[in-house]
Amino acid sequence: MTSHDVTLEWPDGRTRTIAVREDESVLEGGERDGVGLPFGCRTGACGTCVGRLLAIDGTGGGGDAADREPIGDAGDTEPIDVADAFAYRREPRALKPRHRTGGYVLLCIATPRADCRVAVGSQVQSELVDNPWK
Amino acid sequence: MSDASTSSDVEPDHDHDHHHEGPGYSTPQAAIEESDREQLAYVMSLYVGTDVDEPDFVAVVDLDPDSETYGEIVDRIEMPNRGDELHHFGWNACSSSCHVEGLERRHLIVPGQRSSRLHVIDTKDRRNPELVEVIEPEEVFEYDLSAPHTVHCVPDGKIIISMLGDADGDLPGGFLELNDDFEIEGRWEPPGEIEMNYDYWYQPRQNVMVSSEWAAPKTYYPGFDLEDVEAGKYGQKLHFWDWENGTVEQTIDLGEEGLIPLEVRFLHTPESTHGFVGAALSSNIFHFWRDEAAGEYRAEKVIDFESREHPDWDMPVPALPTDILISMDDRYLFGSNWLHGEVWMYDVSDPANPRRADSLSVGGTFGEVQEVQGRELAAGPQMIQLSLDGERLYWTTSLFSSWDDQFYPEEAERGSVMLKADVDPRNGTLELDEDFLVDWGECPAGPARAHEIRWPDGDCTSDVWQ
Repeated sequence: MTSHDVTLEWPDGRTRTIAVREDESVLEGGERDGVGLPFGCRTGACGTCVGRLLAIDGTGGGGDAADREPIGDAGDTEPIDVADAFAYRREPRALKPRHRTGGYVLLCIATPRADCRVAVGSQVQSELVDNPWK
Repeated sequence: MSDASTSSDVEPDHDHDHHHEGPGYSTPQAAIEESDREQLAYVMSLYVGTDVDEPDFVAVVDLDPDSETYGEIVDRIEMPNRGDELHHFGWNACSSSCHVEGLERRHLIVPGQRSSRLHVIDTKDRRNPELVEVIEPEEVFEYDLSAPHTVHCVPDGKIIISMLGDADGDLPGGFLELNDDFEIEGRWEPPGEIEMNYDYWYQPRQNVMVSSEWAAPKTYYPGFDLEDVEAGKYGQKLHFWDWENGTVEQTIDLGEEGLIPLEVRFLHTPESTHGFVGAALSSNIFHFWRDEAAGEYRAEKVIDFESREHPDWDMPVPALPTDILISMDDRYLFGSNWLHGEVWMYDVSDPANPRRADSLSVGGTFGEVQEVQGRELAAGPQMIQLSLDGERLYWTTSLFSSWDDQFYPEEAERGSVMLKADVDPRNGTLELDEDFLVDWGECPAGPARAHEIRWPDGDCTSDVWQ
């Protein structure tokens, strides 16, 4: 079974590259390698496991996990099409259209199709929505 | 495994006129008179959604002021998996089964809100409870349900759990029934009765159940988005059910002033048809009651919390009353305004005309008290629980992991706290007990959040009388 190198990048600068098979999700690949990632429903409904695609095959924009801007304030950051890097087992229901075009990806149901880098950690989930009163 | 088959363990702890062999107390007043002061609390504690790679747990908190470990977490029952988001939980049996011989209030049903996994914890040893059963999510999804919320024991040893979504985390939700061996019996209601679901309460003597509405799990799970409110994805209705038949008899649309009706409580008196629901987003409390002449239920806004201006916020900040409860003597309604940072008590001896008795400004965005024992409070009061005698009010500070991160991001770094106020029911006053603090920021694996609170002998949000 083909696998792809998925490099996980945490906000504190820590990175870890794991080989994820095309028949397993990034979350499952991480669990196999003993990498702890946040997750909840495992069905694509809750968004707890969300990451943000930074680059495919070492090319493409997005910058490092630590200094990229949250969605909506992305400025001149070049959007990357998640579909070029991942296939979904089922509909990513926790993500709205603006999240999908912003490069957010649900790692519990996303299976890799290319080598790529992904920003991970609980902070990514908190970028999905703002405090509407602040 | 059925608690009904363990009659030799049961020791009748009180006397009263009618035949009463089961768990709980014969009346709400008996609960007040015959119960001992709470010695322990079980508190839902969670790591889901954080970078602490550990399972959620149920904390056992020592509440005995004479104990050396008073105010400390003395045991943690870890879940077997990560990612559950423990949220609300309940007993296998309560006073509604007080005529079921041999049944014990002994097992806690502990659902994972995000995982849809159901855990059963045996509390025979109250200080060292034990996980004894797990129902995996796939078994729940077979009934096209997910996102378990409120657990109530119902007469005859059965357990009903409100489920907020279908197997995909979409609508409609429904109710899952477990039997007294903690096996899934099936769906409690015929399909198609409701779309949204959240909390529920029942009055069997009146043959009525009331349920409220949050939203589809896929809507509220990732966080709160005003766009979803504008798109009508959040609830504003109350449903009144025929308890025997499991069918909705009446739905009341509370309108814009009733947006996101969460915790719903009938008065404890089994004869009563009065109750309250907190509309969190609209920051109003509604009174509901059965209009006997018209033969239907009515609902009316009786408390209105005004939004407040804050220099650091762009828009007026809503109070967000996220939890309410009624004292066992049905005299006071207590609640928590999570964003404002306030716990409050209203005299509801006349339920149609609540009278503000007292409040406490603590934590949150506006709280006058922002630290206790030098420990900074990272969020406002949220889940509340009251002693059966109505003299001690406790609360924790986490609402829901993704919503916490949105409104109180510091809570992820500091963890939750549990605080307490002394209540004087005679004079209607609340006083913060600054000697009491339980700190989830000091858990061994890292700061954890704390949510719902229960007492081993029943509490003001779990017991129902038949």
